[in-house]
Amino acid sequence: MKLFKNRTFLLFLPVISFLVIPFYGFIHAVIQSIDGEGLAHYKEILNSERFLSSVWFSIRTAGTATIASIILGLGFTKAFHPFLARTSKRLMVWVPMLFPHFVWGYMVILLLSETGWISQAFAAAGWMENTSNFPVWTRDPQGIGIIITYIWKEVPLVILLLFPVFTSIRPEYYALVDSLGGNAWHRFTTIDLPHLFPVLVESFLIIFSFTLAAYEVPALIGTTFPEMISVLGYEWFYGSSWDDRPLAFAAMVLTSLFLLALTLVSYYGLSRPRWRAMRGDRP
Amino acid sequence: MNRKKTLFLILTLLFFVVPLTALLLQSFSAPWRFHTGQGIDWGWQGYSILFGNPQLWEATFISIGIGFAVLFINAAIGLFTGKALASYAYRGKAWLEALLLSPILIPSLAIAMGLHLFMIRIGLADTIWGVMLIHLVPTVPYSIKIFHNSYQQMGKAMMEQPHILGAGFWTQVFTVELPLLRPAIRSLTFLTIVISLSQYALTAIIGGGRVVTLPLVFFPFLDNANTSIMAAFSIWFALIPIFMYIIIEALMMFLPYSRLPWRNHR
Repeated sequence: MKLFKNRTFLLFLPVISFLVIPFYGFIHAVIQSIDGEGLAHYKEILNSERFLSSVWFSIRTAGTATIASIILGLGFTKAFHPFLARTSKRLMVWVPMLFPHFVWGYMVILLLSETGWISQAFAAAGWMENTSNFPVWTRDPQGIGIIITYIWKEVPLVILLLFPVFTSIRPEYYALVDSLGGNAWHRFTTIDLPHLFPVLVESFLIIFSFTLAAYEVPALIGTTFPEMISVLGYEWFYGSSWDDRPLAFAAMVLTSLFLLALTLVSYYGLSRPRWRAMRGDRP
Repeated sequence: MNRKKTLFLILTLLFFVVPLTALLLQSFSAPWRFHTGQGIDWGWQGYSILFGNPQLWEATFISIGIGFAVLFINAAIGLFTGKALASYAYRGKAWLEALLLSPILIPSLAIAMGLHLFMIRIGLADTIWGVMLIHLVPTVPYSIKIFHNSYQQMGKAMMEQPHILGAGFWTQVFTVELPLLRPAIRSLTFLTIVISLSQYALTAIIGGGRVVTLPLVFFPFLDNANTSIMAAFSIWFALIPIFMYIIIEALMMFLPYSRLPWRNHR
């Protein structure tokens, strides 16, 4: 038995040596954000209007995109998972996953910008007088373009993550709810939700932290004010003034700490129902 | 059921297939101007101008090279870790899984900025090797998840049996596990390569603009190029994962118990 345990440790060696990279990077970001001046840089950004509006804009944009992706993906998988068993149908849904995020962002510009395909088609069909009547959905101050890009790109990911869970739910459960006189809502809350809950929370964390901190899409399809936290951080990091660099570190460290706290809280909440389920209690 | 099927087809066609088709058509024609009443001009200009850019080929080869390296390292780490996670149960497993997932929860910009000075110090900044290492950060957690799931589906019996029959570690990996992991390797290939192709900021910071991958060509191109060239470029981004997928699929035919076309006539 002891030999077994030693071997498990060996299997973990590659991943431990990999984890050194992100953790070293993160710790160094913290060190450079302090930079011998204590928390001065943190005080500076927390007093900066630009930073605070960027934080609010980022959380609002990423939150909207994530929640919408999860609801749409959940609804789609729930309604259509029998069709998705066919590989050809799955491939149709997963088209956006074949492209990098910024390419899909460019796709949204092609389709939905004021001179895009859709506004041109509407104008040609006579539904709009002029292409300039089309609403401003890309490079807009509300972040609509960013949200559309992320929803479009992440819904297939949500479907990919939820599909195996739906196929693993035994149909007898639904029959049980039906025979006890339950309706569709009862089926969803007593069977689907308990099965899906851990995956939903994990999907939320993955998509939210990605959309909150990714640089490419907002750089392509956002405006200069308000800007996403990553765009601001990148600008401070590469800006003309070297004095801004510690600010970039401070901004990214704060974002990391926020996301880590969110993850810890979620995992703490998740691990308790999981343990109960393993002991045989009702999940 | 039939109405549901129609709805499914309408939704998937509208949101997933039609945009791709339009992108393909645009790449084979001059920029569209419907409202002027002109028809569509077919042609290869988009691709010929794109391929005329000398940076494109260099960037493509560098991207593919980095992609393969990232894929193989991911496969190795994912295989070991997935196996370890699936084989042994212990308390605190949820926390271990959270720890392994954390590299994609911490913003990769923070990690790359933090590593930048260190990479300069050890001479990895502005090199392909540095870019490869930083591309591992957003990919490895996914590989671990994919392999963990596959090993769990495989079941413990499948791993105990070869052990009982006296197979060594590597024999077991090659003759039992890898052939059964084929679907996992397929998803891994797509996922890691698309993620590696998606990295503009990480590549720009660690590569310092010297390591020119496809996103580094695409991004500055956006401001001045016409829609046909950009459509062709976008299609090019999707062709690379498909190309690398075919190569991996061909390599997997050499795994034991695979159907080699010249060996099996079933």
